[in-house]
Amino acid sequence: MKNKKIIFLISFVAIGVICHLFLNSYIQALVITFMINAIMALSLNFITGVANQFSLGQAGFMALGAYTSAVLTKEFLGDVWYVIPVTALAGACVSAAAGFLVSLPSFKLKGDYLAIVTMGFAEIVRVILLNWNHVGGPRGYNAIAKWPEFILSYAATGSYLIITFIVLYHLKISWFGRNLWAINEDEIAAEVMGTAVAKNKRAAFLVSSFFAGLGGALYGHHLGYISPGSFSFLMSVQILIYAVFGGLGSMSGSVLSAFILTALPEVLRSLPTGGLDLRMIIFPVLLIIMMILRPEGLLGRRELFASKEGSHE
Amino acid sequence: MNKMLVVENLNLSFGGIKAVDQVHFYINENELLGLIGPNGAGKTTVFNMVSGFYNPDSGSIKLNGSEIQSLSPDQINKSGIARTFQNIRLFGKLSVLENVLIAIQQTEKLGWFESLFRTQKYINKEKALKNHCLDLLRIFSLDHLANEQACNLSYGLQRKLEIVRALATKPKLLILDEPAAGMNHQETEDLKKLIYFIKEKFKLTVLLIEHDMKLVMSICDRLVVLNRGCKIAEGTPQEIKTNETVIEAYLGKRSHH
Repeated sequence: MKNKKIIFLISFVAIGVICHLFLNSYIQALVITFMINAIMALSLNFITGVANQFSLGQAGFMALGAYTSAVLTKEFLGDVWYVIPVTALAGACVSAAAGFLVSLPSFKLKGDYLAIVTMGFAEIVRVILLNWNHVGGPRGYNAIAKWPEFILSYAATGSYLIITFIVLYHLKISWFGRNLWAINEDEIAAEVMGTAVAKNKRAAFLVSSFFAGLGGALYGHHLGYISPGSFSFLMSVQILIYAVFGGLGSMSGSVLSAFILTALPEVLRSLPTGGLDLRMIIFPVLLIIMMILRPEGLLGRRELFASKEGSHE
Repeated sequence: MNKMLVVENLNLSFGGIKAVDQVHFYINENELLGLIGPNGAGKTTVFNMVSGFYNPDSGSIKLNGSEIQSLSPDQINKSGIARTFQNIRLFGKLSVLENVLIAIQQTEKLGWFESLFRTQKYINKEKALKNHCLDLLRIFSLDHLANEQACNLSYGLQRKLEIVRALATKPKLLILDEPAAGMNHQETEDLKKLIYFIKEKFKLTVLLIEHDMKLVMSICDRLVVLNRGCKIAEGTPQEIKTNETVIEAYLGKRSHH
């Protein structure tokens, strides 16, 4: 067990160093994008896969995290990169608070109805940001503190991805995950067995929106520019695709699918298609084939590893 | 004798229909009380009020002296009442062990931080709980099925597992909602033995709702009969058997030619 952890840490550092020294900035940016996508997919997978509460508002939480962290660094903390790890956490906390508020009126809703509420929440966030001139309104918020070097960005984003994975995976296999699963199977029976249903659901929302906000904050500092348009409904759907593709309820599946679905469009980009942009046709066709052949996603509820520890990219 | 559960002047209406009308009864400690009545008599409604799913319009339900009628189902469970369901409600896709584990872990304080960091202490605690579950399953000889999905069990075993799961919450009062529904003669006999067994082994008080008259008459200490939301009789099985009002409720009025 100890060995696996050490091997994982060494390979994590090695990949970072190799990317930093030998690969161009295009690949480097892709690596960071993959990590952020993985954090987002994990956060959604926890609320939708483990707790079975269908959320389409992940982009809203992401926006809250991104704007909070961006405003904090730029307006209050001198626009320097080394405060980013802390402001990202602050963004995550604001997003978690919003998640808690959303869960208060909606804990009795399920499925499509909950999806509509969360979707509405994300739209409200987007429209407020769109009309808030202080943060740029529709023009977006510019020149946010960025990481000066790839390796720093890699270390911070990568560490947060590992933390996200470990926390959510541990919660999934703990009493909390079991409670959520029981509620998912039969809410009334779970309640009669002494499970506080509303409390558990709220906690799940809180955890999920915390990490969505964290992912959003890292996203803003990765690009250096955010606008309300980045956090539209399409973003929520994209995150949902990552989570469903990997398998709802499988944490390692989410990371795996974030990797595949981040890399795939880029690989398809280089296909010799004679000037035609076929990749936006091939990509959805692959997704449809996947839906037919493996509707439960790549891994279903299972994890990549049989043992209890460790995460892999 | 000590009265464990006291129900007083319970009322509940659904719109214009008075489902439960001034119902009152009590259960002594260590007693097996049967609640019977024809279809639509209000048995399940009373049940749902005792287990916290409905709030009564008026009246009180007291468990060992403290009022519980306004508590939620999970709080009622924590105060010592467990129940099973007429239509079995197991966590179908979870294993037999996990079904019991979910019930048992509610009685235990498992912290957030310990589970986040998965400390050795937490892992040990979880192991201990699992062993406890296995012990419980062994008593009912279900331990060899521990890793089986609950929905794969036979009907009779699912009933049994539901009772085990209810017991795992360490109740003082166990409420069984038509446990013999859909069972054949042999299974009903086994159920009878099972009810006696758990009552003695876990020192339980049992409230039983049942349609199967033979079962009710043979195992209950006392019976309460409901009809159209009202209590019409109360007494030992012998008294109930000969009670004119009860016979009338079940079979209709004797016609005089």
